[in-house]
Amino acid sequence: MFDYRQYALRKIATLGPQYFPFADIATGDVPLSRLLRLSLFQVTVGMALVLLVGTLNRVMIVELDVPAILVAGMLALPLLFAPLRVLIGFKSDAHVSALGWRRVPYIWKGTLYQFGGFAIMPFALLVLSGYAEAIDAPRWIGLSSAALSFLLVGAGLHMVQTVGLALASDLVPEEDQPKVVGLMYVMLLAGMTVSALIYGRLLENYTPGRLIQVIQGTAVLTVALNLFALWKQEARSREVAARMMVTPKQRFADAWDALIMRPNATRLLVVIGLGTFGYGMADVLLEPYGAQALGFSVAETTRLTALLATGTLLGFGYASRALVKGGDPARLALVGALIGIPGFTAIILSGFMVGAPLFLVGTLATGLGAGLFGHATLTETLRMSPKNQVGLALGAWGAVQATCAGIGVALGGAIRDLIVGLSATDGLPSHMPYNFVFTIEIVALTLAVVIAFPLGVRARCRHHAKGRLRHPSNPDQTSVEVT
Amino acid sequence: MSDDPDKVWPTGLTLREAEEVHSYLIDGTRVFGVIALLAHILVAVSTPWLG
Repeated sequence: MFDYRQYALRKIATLGPQYFPFADIATGDVPLSRLLRLSLFQVTVGMALVLLVGTLNRVMIVELDVPAILVAGMLALPLLFAPLRVLIGFKSDAHVSALGWRRVPYIWKGTLYQFGGFAIMPFALLVLSGYAEAIDAPRWIGLSSAALSFLLVGAGLHMVQTVGLALASDLVPEEDQPKVVGLMYVMLLAGMTVSALIYGRLLENYTPGRLIQVIQGTAVLTVALNLFALWKQEARSREVAARMMVTPKQRFADAWDALIMRPNATRLLVVIGLGTFGYGMADVLLEPYGAQALGFSVAETTRLTALLATGTLLGFGYASRALVKGGDPARLALVGALIGIPGFTAIILSGFMVGAPLFLVGTLATGLGAGLFGHATLTETLRMSPKNQVGLALGAWGAVQATCAGIGVALGGAIRDLIVGLSATDGLPSHMPYNFVFTIEIVALTLAVVIAFPLGVRARCRHHAKGRLRHPSNPDQTSVEVT
Repeated sequence: MSDDPDKVWPTGLTLREAEEVHSYLIDGTRVFGVIALLAHILVAVSTPWLG
């Protein structure tokens, strides 16, 4: 009998790669399938982020009746670990293993912590909320165990992401790194979007049993996906192991000095911080702004998030293409931050005139800018990092990025709530609090552009020089390199 | 194979390599053990069994 399933699968397999922006990643020893498999660790990171920031935020306040201030404090705990990413990256760079492994041990440890945190989290939350007999239990049991579970998940998530990205960049040659960066970002976005939909559906009818199932299911899925992602990725090598044994131990302070002393290293980190802060603040505010200032329905605000994600995907796609063709990441980061300024201006103006169409254009623009900026700054970080310090450089990137994004999201919400509280008495228009936050974002992005400007200009000079040096007889080459 | 004194039969790993693999197993078991203990205590606090 004709096997339709096999036929369809084979057709899709032959059809797929040519419409895929990352297909030509398949260099000799690392095929696309292997990189796709590795990128699953980003899906687990996305799942954890959505569960913490989105789902549990709501469940703890609405269903479990935990005070909002306590919830905010608990959810901020994973953020405490973000600066430690630098240390994790450094340790994985300097790891000594008889197997020649540098990355796998840390991803495995991170996975264990993530699993452990999720495994005790539902019970900790139930005890915290005084479920059944726990109402008589001393308060500190619930508080400390919930804090511990959030800390474990946060620690694990930061470890897995930092070291996982380092492993991915170890696997491919430098000219292919933009494509890997794009792939990793897309998988994070996909993981967050899909899991947000699934969590929303699963927890629609909340019961304590369902909460336990969902969180522990996440724990099992995290271990399964990370193991699958990690399988046979990092080569076991006795030569590397022998080299690790004789390499003198480097102190963290020395490694950090070496990293930060390179030209423009600090400048790049400041730009990453400001840009991520600017774009991060908008994430949670676009939906309520659409609803309150422009009167969007619930379904329409959901589509708004889809539009933002579409813009971000376009940004990733364009950045991957442009950077592989030889575009400069520093200049692209500049463009990414620049797009956000008219984007947010359009969003602010939409409250006064034109309305929805202008708002949608602004949303798409900010999504695009965030995508370009995220991709380009990560690629630039990888380009600038010395080969033996990839983990440390990614740790620094992640520490700045995660801290600033977290502060941005928290601050955006806090400022809005504060001004909403004020304007309720004064009778200010409903878009006022949002416009205040959007203005802060414009200021942050403008600062990022100003500080990033020398990076972009220097990159242009560098490229001109390189093009001329390499091809003295071919003037066309110069213009190709610059684009 | 088995005449190399440094290699552990039957995997062909050296002693140091085998010990490292073993250390991951031991660490994992410890972490899982502590997590399981904690989870049981928390469940017992909210819905006690055996009394």
